[in-house]
Amino acid sequence: MASIPVDAAPISRSRASRSPRGLALPKRLVPAALLLPSLLFLAVFFALPALGLISYSVLTQAADGTIGLPLTLEHYWHFFATPLYARVLLTTLEISLIATAIAVVLGYPVALVMVRSSPLIRQAITIIVIAPLIVSVVVRTYGWQLILGNGPTGILNWLLLKTGITKSPVALLYSETAVVIGSLHVFFPMMVLPLASALGKIDPRLEDAARTLGATSWRTFRRIILPLSLPGLTVGCTLVFSLTAGSFVTPAILGGSSGQMLGVLVEQQILIVYNWPFGAACATVLVAIVLGANLVSVRVLERRRRIAR
Amino acid sequence: MSGRLQGPAAWLLVSITLAMMLFILAPLLVTIATSITNTQYIIFPPRGFTLQWYGKALQDEDFLAAMWFSTLLALAATVGALLLGVPAAFALVRCDFAGRGAVASMLLSPLVFPVLITGVALLQLFAMLRFDNTPLNMLIGHVLVTAPYVVRTTAASLSLADITLEDAARTLGADSWRVFRRITVPQIAPGLAAGALFAFMISFDNFPISLWLADAQHNPVPLLIFQMIASVFEPSVAAISTLMILFAIAIVMILERVGGLRRAMAM
Repeated sequence: MASIPVDAAPISRSRASRSPRGLALPKRLVPAALLLPSLLFLAVFFALPALGLISYSVLTQAADGTIGLPLTLEHYWHFFATPLYARVLLTTLEISLIATAIAVVLGYPVALVMVRSSPLIRQAITIIVIAPLIVSVVVRTYGWQLILGNGPTGILNWLLLKTGITKSPVALLYSETAVVIGSLHVFFPMMVLPLASALGKIDPRLEDAARTLGATSWRTFRRIILPLSLPGLTVGCTLVFSLTAGSFVTPAILGGSSGQMLGVLVEQQILIVYNWPFGAACATVLVAIVLGANLVSVRVLERRRRIAR
Repeated sequence: MSGRLQGPAAWLLVSITLAMMLFILAPLLVTIATSITNTQYIIFPPRGFTLQWYGKALQDEDFLAAMWFSTLLALAATVGALLLGVPAAFALVRCDFAGRGAVASMLLSPLVFPVLITGVALLQLFAMLRFDNTPLNMLIGHVLVTAPYVVRTTAASLSLADITLEDAARTLGADSWRVFRRITVPQIAPGLAAGALFAFMISFDNFPISLWLADAQHNPVPLLIFQMIASVFEPSVAAISTLMILFAIAIVMILERVGGLRRAMAM
């Protein structure tokens, strides 16, 4: 991800002096002119509203619905001190961490097989991994609702009863487990793709060398593959964690009351309760979690780059 | 032999991979299977075979209106994302200026920020400014989340394009616009097409922005399906979902043809 090659050697400098009939604009203004629309758009419709929402979280809502001074931290206090809301925060963190951990354990095998297979198999795996990304999250989650359905009509239960693995149907839907399964499905490609791209860069001769010198597969993985694929792993973990933490559809359809997450809380507070300041405070907590995860990841990647030098 | 998987560990890896392929496909296959059942309710395995639920879906006015609106919205969002994203990517890759890295991060920042929160922040802004043109508000939101993808794919293909060709054209007397049109665009065309198609799908499938900004007259497909899941228990929901899956498969095929899936995602 984020593969904009800013490290590449600047190209235009060498050419600036010998462009005979360049653009009418002075050379230095060209990037400004090209970037201005995008940056302006982002400032007005992204930075400004984001700051606006955060500022709502420290304002007071009057009885008639108007929002204004005085400044207060009451909404945050309300959030952290109410067991119900603190529980939603913990559930969000728990679901995101578990989904990320499972994605790592299952993502490595898939990425390794993807990178080390013949071109045909690699293409097949790539398509299967990526294709669901283009299917709406709502549709995919509906599929999981059909599979995990409680009672004997759920497809998993039908399978379990049919094969005699269980005597009575299991209750999976409307639980944290269901949300973890759904999130894993939705965001698994975000782990496999960065991992595969990092693994593809590892010289296979390193592994051959390790193996020739008598290392077991596990040791080769631990000492060669894992450290060399760390950048891909970091990117994958950050993506899966932050996307899961910020999700709405999966917990809303599969979570029931025990698998509720911050995103659903924000939606309820704003669209149903009309409590903008409190909804904004919940949103700010969510943003802090996601940006925190990204900050950690940037740090890890930077430190690694320094060591590599 | 070099680099190939081997030994008992390889069997473990291949088994996990096969299991994961099944895991990835399972909810899609199950939805398709359920959509052809000849019963009034959802049951697995499906009983009999009928296409009546597709007939019902294709006559459903809400669904048709949602399809039409989502398509228009996604087309407009793609155009907007290209208009903003392509020049920006060009500046990032082909121009040298101070703070390039910072600008690149800024342009991609909507991908890092939780989209659900981007949506609610926009709702607040539009309410405050009394912008009540729902389609336009949704378009702004969708451009915001699709443009970064266009920046990424365009930048990736630009940095792969052979710059010496552009230099050659310039040496031969072509002006900048001509160089761009005749040399650069043909080289990055597959990347641009893949990026545009991907942007279209991102907008078409978007839920977390539309959730906040849509209204009853402007209800995109993902929102409609979400509402139906909670209120309709016939297989027609499965039929509509299957149509969405087939649509996505078609797009994947085209993406793979045009420029490679992984390149479209710039990963």
